[in-house]
Amino acid sequence: MSEVQVSAIRLGLIWRRLDGIVDQVAETFLRAAFSVVVRDNYDMAFSIFDAERRQLTQSKRSIPSFLGTLPRTLEAVLEKFPRSKLSPGDVIITNNAWIGTGHLNDISMVHPIFRGSDLVAFAASTAHTVDIGGAPSPSAKDCFEEGLCIPICKIVVAGEDNPTVMDFINENLRQPAETMGDIRAQFAAYRDCNTKLMSLMDEEGLDSLTPVADEIIARSEQSMRDAISALPDGTYSDGFDIDGVDVPLRIECAVTIEGDHLIVDFEGTSGQVPWPINSVLNYTQAYARYAIKCLVDPDAPNNAGSLAPVSVTAPQSSLLNATPPAPVWGRHLSGHYVPPAIFGALAPIMGDRIVAESGSPLWNVYFSGQYDDDRGNFVKMFFMNGGHGARGHGDGPGCLSFPSNVSNQPIEAFEHQVPMLVREKSFIPDSGGAGKYRGGNAQKLVFEARSKNPMTMTIRHERITYPPRGLLGGKPGDAGVDMINDECIAAKSRTTLVAGDKIVFQTPGGGGLFDPAERDTTLIKNDLESGLTTPAATKENYNYD
Amino acid sequence: MTETKQENWRVGVDIGGTFTDVVLWCEGAAHLFQVKLLTTPDDPSRAVLDGVSQALEQARITAKQLGTFVHGTTLVANALIERKGVTTGLITTEGFRDVLEIGREWRYDLFNLNIEMPTPLVPRQRRLEIEERIDASGAVDTALNLDQLPKLAQELHSKGVQSLAISLLHSYLNPAHEQAVGAEIKKLMPDVAVSLSSDVSPEMGEYERTSTTVANAYVHPIFRDYVDRLAAALQQLGYTNELLLVLSDGRSIAADVAVKYPIRLVQSGPAAGAEAARLFGNLAGQNDILCFDMGGTTAKACLIHDGEPERTVNFEVARETRFAEGSGLPLLIPAIDMIEIGAGGGSIARVDQRGLLQVGPDSSSADPGPACYGRGGDQPTVTDCDLLLGYLDENSFLGGKMKLDREATIQAIKTRLAEPLGISPEEAAWGVHETVTANMAQAATIHAIERGLDATRFAMLPIGGAGPVHACSMAKKIGITRMVCPAGAGVASAIGMLAAAISFELGRAAPCELALLDFDHAASLLNGMADEASALIISAGAEKNEVTQYFSVMMRYLGQGYEIEVPVTLEMIENKDRERVLEHFSEAYRDRYGRSEDMPAELLSWRLAVTGPRSTLGDTLGQQKHETKPTPVPRNHRPVWFDNGYVETPVYKRKDFAVGSHIDGPAIIEETESTLVLPIGFKLDVDTAHNLILETTA
Repeated sequence: MSEVQVSAIRLGLIWRRLDGIVDQVAETFLRAAFSVVVRDNYDMAFSIFDAERRQLTQSKRSIPSFLGTLPRTLEAVLEKFPRSKLSPGDVIITNNAWIGTGHLNDISMVHPIFRGSDLVAFAASTAHTVDIGGAPSPSAKDCFEEGLCIPICKIVVAGEDNPTVMDFINENLRQPAETMGDIRAQFAAYRDCNTKLMSLMDEEGLDSLTPVADEIIARSEQSMRDAISALPDGTYSDGFDIDGVDVPLRIECAVTIEGDHLIVDFEGTSGQVPWPINSVLNYTQAYARYAIKCLVDPDAPNNAGSLAPVSVTAPQSSLLNATPPAPVWGRHLSGHYVPPAIFGALAPIMGDRIVAESGSPLWNVYFSGQYDDDRGNFVKMFFMNGGHGARGHGDGPGCLSFPSNVSNQPIEAFEHQVPMLVREKSFIPDSGGAGKYRGGNAQKLVFEARSKNPMTMTIRHERITYPPRGLLGGKPGDAGVDMINDECIAAKSRTTLVAGDKIVFQTPGGGGLFDPAERDTTLIKNDLESGLTTPAATKENYNYD
Repeated sequence: MTETKQENWRVGVDIGGTFTDVVLWCEGAAHLFQVKLLTTPDDPSRAVLDGVSQALEQARITAKQLGTFVHGTTLVANALIERKGVTTGLITTEGFRDVLEIGREWRYDLFNLNIEMPTPLVPRQRRLEIEERIDASGAVDTALNLDQLPKLAQELHSKGVQSLAISLLHSYLNPAHEQAVGAEIKKLMPDVAVSLSSDVSPEMGEYERTSTTVANAYVHPIFRDYVDRLAAALQQLGYTNELLLVLSDGRSIAADVAVKYPIRLVQSGPAAGAEAARLFGNLAGQNDILCFDMGGTTAKACLIHDGEPERTVNFEVARETRFAEGSGLPLLIPAIDMIEIGAGGGSIARVDQRGLLQVGPDSSSADPGPACYGRGGDQPTVTDCDLLLGYLDENSFLGGKMKLDREATIQAIKTRLAEPLGISPEEAAWGVHETVTANMAQAATIHAIERGLDATRFAMLPIGGAGPVHACSMAKKIGITRMVCPAGAGVASAIGMLAAAISFELGRAAPCELALLDFDHAASLLNGMADEASALIISAGAEKNEVTQYFSVMMRYLGQGYEIEVPVTLEMIENKDRERVLEHFSEAYRDRYGRSEDMPAELLSWRLAVTGPRSTLGDTLGQQKHETKPTPVPRNHRPVWFDNGYVETPVYKRKDFAVGSHIDGPAIIEETESTLVLPIGFKLDVDTAHNLILETTA
């Protein structure tokens, strides 16, 4: 084996150990976390950057958008706290929507890692907090209503908690124990990251991660460039309507491939709206790059190199590039349309690598109020995914998160936290769009309110009017449904619940792919046997009985 | 042997998919009586009895003199991986039959849009619902409607269900409905095995609990019948003490408990193998060991870091995507962290539609077995390729007890691999060998790095019948430079059963805030546990004064979702020392997380581990006298394939080596239960514990 090969193998090993470390560190965070949204829904991300603030790797249990927004967050943190102002043991916090993930409910933190006196890396993480104070609502008119904005500041200074910052956050929250507990759990994870990174560097005899990072980032970038080059040059576009709040809105997307570079542009997309469904550019860019990575070069490592050959633009003050003080609480209601817009645009040239639309934007619901016993206030969320879009070589899985990666939480855990009973969580037959490969089934959730105190329920759901589309001949999935006591309610609304109220949510089904006439009869029969499709719909979609 | 020495004889028996291993040992003696024979899949107890009888004969004792019988088996794991369990059904709370298929809704690979989610062991049409509901406080919200059950039973019956999982919401708090359904089902369907989630895995989280319970049900009847047959046969043989079974965490448990929860034995034999690796690593002065266990059906890897096997709480079986965490069926059981890294000796090689060589995961098992066993198998396996390459010898396999059929091997490889690929049978065999070892090397490397560890810094310890054959080739691909090859590698799991102390763990859920803990109640609970555990371990052959107890409590800060184990003493609880409990918690928390919090703490469950006297096997093996022998003389030579051709290679007997022996590869070193292949580029020395120490010379 030549010298060069040995070092390439060594590099690969170091790199994958870094991947392993970041997963373990994320596990430390998850296990010490105080909120269900982190430990059960995995609404978080953990990432390691080198001293040149280039993203190196991320935990497997990560929300894709957070991975994409963290580089900008780190950049903003370093603008305020350049190296000269950083000490070992510092932790810097912010939840500013425009430099973070697009809404105040995600708190991001950055921890510089020193080896001796040398800055060698940054650990950075983002975690969702269900409550960030304020009065976020589906009718918020600006971002100031949406909660506490934590400016970039040091929450830990040289290893010592900063009580001013801690108290400031603490006093603004309805359920501070949960949010502050999660913040402290991340401190534990940073410490773990420090230890593990140091032993890696000791064992490998590394003083700096930069030479290793140079090599791997260059390789990842080349891999992405090669993958883009393999696609035919040209501009491919797609556009579609989305539910919006009062009137439908438009997403327009053009993807231009020029040699080894790819440009995603959202010119033509609706302007920003006075409803909290606007996306910030950082979030839009994160999902655009993520979609390209999944579609074009999924197997290479994901890091700063993979992002370099993709540029993303959206018109100023548009739905996908809102400017302050636009309300942004539900920014995923527009941002989650970014991957399907890109997939739609590239469908004609991707063949069987394409995926039909999934039952997203992600569905969730907030329940808040006061416990009947002495436990005080609560603000809790419940997440539910729709069906995944059909893939080029098989059906879309039922109820699988995309483009986000939010897990559900156990019903049993939920019922310990919220005075409700879940009566049903089941697949909805026929909800996946027909096709050679059908879309994944959606789910039906039935809740029953049990609290003596009135409880507030807030929903922000999409795909009620416009269901997930099929692609290349596949049929659309089912649209979603929201009901209270058997009557439909607005998909972006806040309702007061009383004991006995019955709430039904049906998430959207995944879109189908290719002509249903090409579907294999074994698959048709299996679906009939399991009841995932009904005889009537099977007859209609596939002319089979 | 005199009657007074009766308690000193211990036997360990490990059943793999292909071979059954028996090791008999009299405490204090350095000699182990070993038997390896083919597993008898139609009735695995047959091979056990046969093997035990042979070992007893070798030692010239009777079964009545056996003090302890410890047993491990891969029966459970193989049934799950190969999906060869019984037709299983599920009864769950009305509205929730899809929980088992919906899972947790997250993607285990962020960038791959084509991932497959695990297929449930029970398909949708056999998942039935019953009207009932218990709420999060454990109170009944909706009464159980047992009137629905006859119809459900009828439906299950018509669908051929042989085993039934019952998993109802919040049953970990209140098992009454599950118990009532279970009791009624036993009346309606007396032949159907029943697994209740509140028994199998009384933990919060309906998906994981149901998954564990369904997996238990899937293997339950197979395992129960097997243990019944074995216990009866042992009794006939004259063994009268408790039959002990090894759990997935290396502890053992009495057979009557084990049969109810076969899922806890999913990793039974391999866990004992890890115990053996720890023992031998310790003797060789190696604390960081990559234990590579390759048997007839599967190959597994386990990391022993700082002398302790890594443990896991996120255990999975039957992963959809090999090596991808999150793609398997989750099991809530305590287990040694071990992953399947590939195929075993019996795994079948084939040419796929794309014209590429594929090996496994399906196995020829013991019957018919590889083509070379001459029992009608016509599919080429890894073992067949090893024979053709000269790694194995048709006349010395299992010490010559089992003659291999070379013609059948050549025929199978030629027609199924060489001809479709357009290459020679030897090249095809080499391709299989390289594919298998490369796949395993990659998987083991990833397993280590997923834990932030570098596999190349570990010493490999190959065990299992096929481990030493493939070890060097795999080590080279990982980048491992040092290997420890113990005597008896081929029966290491059975040795591990003798190396571990007999040990049980009991748990009692008792959720409560520390500030509100009723110490009197807790003390009486712990005393009750101590009595129960002592009775168990004494029935398993330990003396009362030899039993050590280790109490702990699972704790967390109020609001957290995961708990940590906090050591406590009975005295602390009897003295109502709340402060000490909190101190111990803070200390354990700081150990794990590097900090503690000023927040209220809560207790989830009490645990008690009782352990019998530690095994003296390690001491005995470590104190063997060091007879120094010069480098041995090869018994013969045979052509062995390395890289691109046959090399005339010396063949040694393992027993000819002693401290001071040194040889350089290529060489073949045979012992009855396994064969070590030493390729060119490796050297071999013998340490004072009689381990062969292999190192790369390049």
